[in-house]
Amino acid sequence: MIDPLFALLIAFAFSGILAVLFWPAKGIYATYKKAKRNTSRVLIEDALKHLYDYEERTVKPTLRSIAGHLSVSSDDTIQLVEKLQSMGLVESNEDGIQLTPKGRSYALRIIRIHRLWERYLADETSVKESEWHLEAEEKEHNISTEEAETLAAQMGNPVFDPHGDPIPTKEGEIPKRKGMPLTILKNGEFGRIIHIEDEPHAIYIQLIAQGLYPGMQVKIINAEKNRIRFEVNGEECVLAPLFAANVNVTPIQKQDEITSDFKSLSSLRKGEKAVVVGISKACRGPQRRRLMDLGVVPGTLVIAELESIGRDPVAYNIKGATIAIRKKNADQIYIKEFSQEKLN
Amino acid sequence: MIDQNKCETCPVHNTGNLKRLGINMDKFDFVVALSGNPNTGKSTVFNNLTGLKQHTGNWPGKTVTRAEGGFEFNKNRYKLIDLPGTYSLLSTSTDEEIARDFILFGQPDVTVVVVDATRLERNLNLVLQVLEITDRAIICLNLIDEAKRREIEIDDRALARDLGIPVIPTQARQGIGIPELLKSIEDVVTGKFICKPYRIAGSSKGLTKAVENLTEKVKNQFPGLPNARWVALRLLEGDQKIIDAIRSGEISGIVKRNSVEENIVAV
Amino acid sequence: MTAIQTNEREKLIASANTLRWEIGENIHDSIIETIYTEAAKIANKAVRVKEQKKKYSYDQAIDRIVTSKWLGFPIMFFLLAVVFWVTIEGANVPSGLIASLLVDTLHPILKNFIASVGIPNWINGVMIDGAYLAMAWVISVMLPPMAIFFPLFTLLEDFGYLPRVAFNMDNLYRKVGAHGKQALTMTMGFGCNAAGIIATRIIDSPRERIIAIITNNFSLCNGRWPTQILIATIFIGGAVPAYFAGLVSAAAVVGIALLGIIFSLVVSWGLSKTILKGEASAFSLELPPYRPPRILRTLYTSLIDRTIFVLWRAVVFAIPAGIVIWLVANITIGETSIAEHFTNWTDPFALIVGLNGVIFLAYIIAIPANEIVVPTVLMLTVLVAGIAGVGSGSGVMFELDSVADTSAILHAGGWTVLTGINLMLFSLLHNPCSTTIYTIYKETKSVKWTVISTILPVIMGFAVCFFVAQVWRLIAGS
Repeated sequence: MIDPLFALLIAFAFSGILAVLFWPAKGIYATYKKAKRNTSRVLIEDALKHLYDYEERTVKPTLRSIAGHLSVSSDDTIQLVEKLQSMGLVESNEDGIQLTPKGRSYALRIIRIHRLWERYLADETSVKESEWHLEAEEKEHNISTEEAETLAAQMGNPVFDPHGDPIPTKEGEIPKRKGMPLTILKNGEFGRIIHIEDEPHAIYIQLIAQGLYPGMQVKIINAEKNRIRFEVNGEECVLAPLFAANVNVTPIQKQDEITSDFKSLSSLRKGEKAVVVGISKACRGPQRRRLMDLGVVPGTLVIAELESIGRDPVAYNIKGATIAIRKKNADQIYIKEFSQEKLN
Repeated sequence: MIDQNKCETCPVHNTGNLKRLGINMDKFDFVVALSGNPNTGKSTVFNNLTGLKQHTGNWPGKTVTRAEGGFEFNKNRYKLIDLPGTYSLLSTSTDEEIARDFILFGQPDVTVVVVDATRLERNLNLVLQVLEITDRAIICLNLIDEAKRREIEIDDRALARDLGIPVIPTQARQGIGIPELLKSIEDVVTGKFICKPYRIAGSSKGLTKAVENLTEKVKNQFPGLPNARWVALRLLEGDQKIIDAIRSGEISGIVKRNSVEENIVAV
Repeated sequence: MTAIQTNEREKLIASANTLRWEIGENIHDSIIETIYTEAAKIANKAVRVKEQKKKYSYDQAIDRIVTSKWLGFPIMFFLLAVVFWVTIEGANVPSGLIASLLVDTLHPILKNFIASVGIPNWINGVMIDGAYLAMAWVISVMLPPMAIFFPLFTLLEDFGYLPRVAFNMDNLYRKVGAHGKQALTMTMGFGCNAAGIIATRIIDSPRERIIAIITNNFSLCNGRWPTQILIATIFIGGAVPAYFAGLVSAAAVVGIALLGIIFSLVVSWGLSKTILKGEASAFSLELPPYRPPRILRTLYTSLIDRTIFVLWRAVVFAIPAGIVIWLVANITIGETSIAEHFTNWTDPFALIVGLNGVIFLAYIIAIPANEIVVPTVLMLTVLVAGIAGVGSGSGVMFELDSVADTSAILHAGGWTVLTGINLMLFSLLHNPCSTTIYTIYKETKSVKWTVISTILPVIMGFAVCFFVAQVWRLIAGS
């Protein structure tokens, strides 16, 4: 019989080695996989996306901008562009580097997969918002067109990604981008957020940390040179113009039910009543549908009925049924005080 | 006329004509779909009609597959399909898809929606959605005893008038109301009773124009489609099943069937 | 279909798409809102509520108790313990009766009959000692506990208690990144893992559904209870004074079941952090009104729907297993049987993890049906240890009337308390039975998840047994 102490030591050593090899995100295997990512396919696709992005914004791409975007050396960039040319995806002339129709449709295909995947992550998974874009950046190179189409069909063929960007169709059609940066709105004007630019990432993180989502309505309180104060979903928000420029809005005429001080359903104590005002835009996809199907729609009377251990979940009486909802979701349901007249 | 009606709805007269066929349903004349919210006693109604003993657990989502059974009533043989209990037919979850697809593509001769009388409003959500899809539906207003116990009074005749379909109060556990339900099923499938289902007219805000626009286009493409507006709404929601059905022309199958049905009634 | 038609249809679909870009994303919201508004309008016209005061008093009163802070969990454990206790106690006598009928009485008759007809001995062995006996064991070990457990469980289910369990447990499941309804599928798994896995259909989120499927195996299913009970009685009950024995061994079994729940939480957490990364998604669960269960109806339906169904499946899988058992014990290579070759070969490794080769072989053969583990272990132990005077020949499964006899055999086969404890742990942590594996494949339609749900528990079983063995030896050896 092996000495137990010795056996234990061997086992610990073995699990240690396994951990070093396969630790998620930091293990040797994961690092290796990450390193392998920068294959030529990835570079080609990323370059095409970059060119398309500039074309859309009517900015002229340069070798430098490509090199910067892909973080590769300028020599490599020249090689890459030559390769793209030989593949018939771009052409370069005195006007600079341009996408060919073939290159554009390739770019749109990658964008479609990218946005579909973001939408999938947002709607069907619980991946954190700040990780959607980065994960889609990886995934867009690894999904086949067929897989993407199956995914789209399953999700009900979404036409917008979670940032409010249109998803190109299978045939490569995409509507022209409407709207304007938030910085253009004047004091007292209303707008609806239609898009939040997800690049650069650092700015995007800041914006979502403020709780901004496409579909939300904003009202400019005070636009100054170095800061813009505005109201969104009843809360005041301040952004520097640099940040606000990454929020795209479409101006709207009238104010759609934005009133101040909505409480969330989770603030309701056992036995208290309230009326639902709406569900936050952060609650999306099947989760949102399920809640609405259960009767969580504006105007519904809810009563907090049971609290489980730790006050999470809480069971509410909604249209006659007792329905347990986790705090995280109850946070996203806005309520207002129940008043007798309202019901009749 | 009235006397005859009384005789026909008399329980003694009718249960005599009910032959429960269990899972034996080789030949059948009509197909009946059974839909409803979870926990409304749908399985109890199913067992009551077919004589089967499907398990009736008390937790939402218990019936995850669809069950089938048969019964014979007044010489007609019926196949009964118990659809999964759902709150809605609009989401993309598997059970809702099964239920939705059957009502739309399975083309039952009548859809019986089992409704919990104690929570009418919540259940009407599903009823209205069913009525958007199909013309022939019956409400089985179940748990009427429980509603009485809670002193909830339901004017089933007003409800039937508003919705344009038969509403039959039942206590499925005790078998009360089942004969009337059978009679009503017979009336609807044979065209004795013609449903004039309530359809939701308006939709809110900026939607109306888009919906009308598309509904017109659907109607042009598939003349005679009874639920063009619903199909348009589904298209606006990007429902792949509907897109495929339009592509393949399967949608027009619904048209044909309905017109045949109308012909029979006219004769 | 003409080309023009096809073209027109494509145009229709394309115009829908263009409209969708224009109207934005709120369409679903507004459709549902409209429907509910209309529903409310119609309902208000038809419904009259006389008095609102007493509305849900009866349901609410029960809910206040079963979900209360202090009583919620104790009531839950108490109810589950009662169900298990009644199952264990009540199944004893009928199990013995069926065994004596099918094994002690019918088996010799059949065997003699076939021998008298002149059918060769080996066919007799394969068919009667192999296939028939395996079936007989499965029926006698499984039928009585299932016939008690399923109706009891169904009563709780029909009453509406299970959703309350999910409500109470959700806090824990949320913290490990799992779905609240996983508690429901876990409880279903106590009856049969395959049934539990089918029940995971109620979980919408694909990620959390896979977690629920993988961890369902940690619900100690019916087929594994007999092993747990017997081994606990011999090795744990045997280690304490006689008047404590019953209580202590029952506690040990409940302890293993609780350990299973803890493992399911730990593994769910691990999966949420690694291959199934993500946070818990939305959880909305209807707590249905309580309905008085109809006892006779329940007895009938749960017997037909579940007991017979599960039993039939087990029998179908057990028969080939029985044949294999007989064959490995009777086909010899050189002087020794395949079974002995295998146990001799695996013993060194098995002993390190505190088990033995016999257990390994029994578990491999018992993949189709866990119920036959104990009889197989006994048969193989006798064969390998060369004990004379018990059993009825090689390849013949048996169980002994008295626990004391069983205990004597196992001790003669070199078993210790450690072997007993590790067998209990391994019985909790090993691959699911073949029915369950098949069900997992059918539900996930993925080879990857089927393999993971099969292999993961085995690896965990070996790891846990290994550490328990080493720690035990360290303490006992010093």
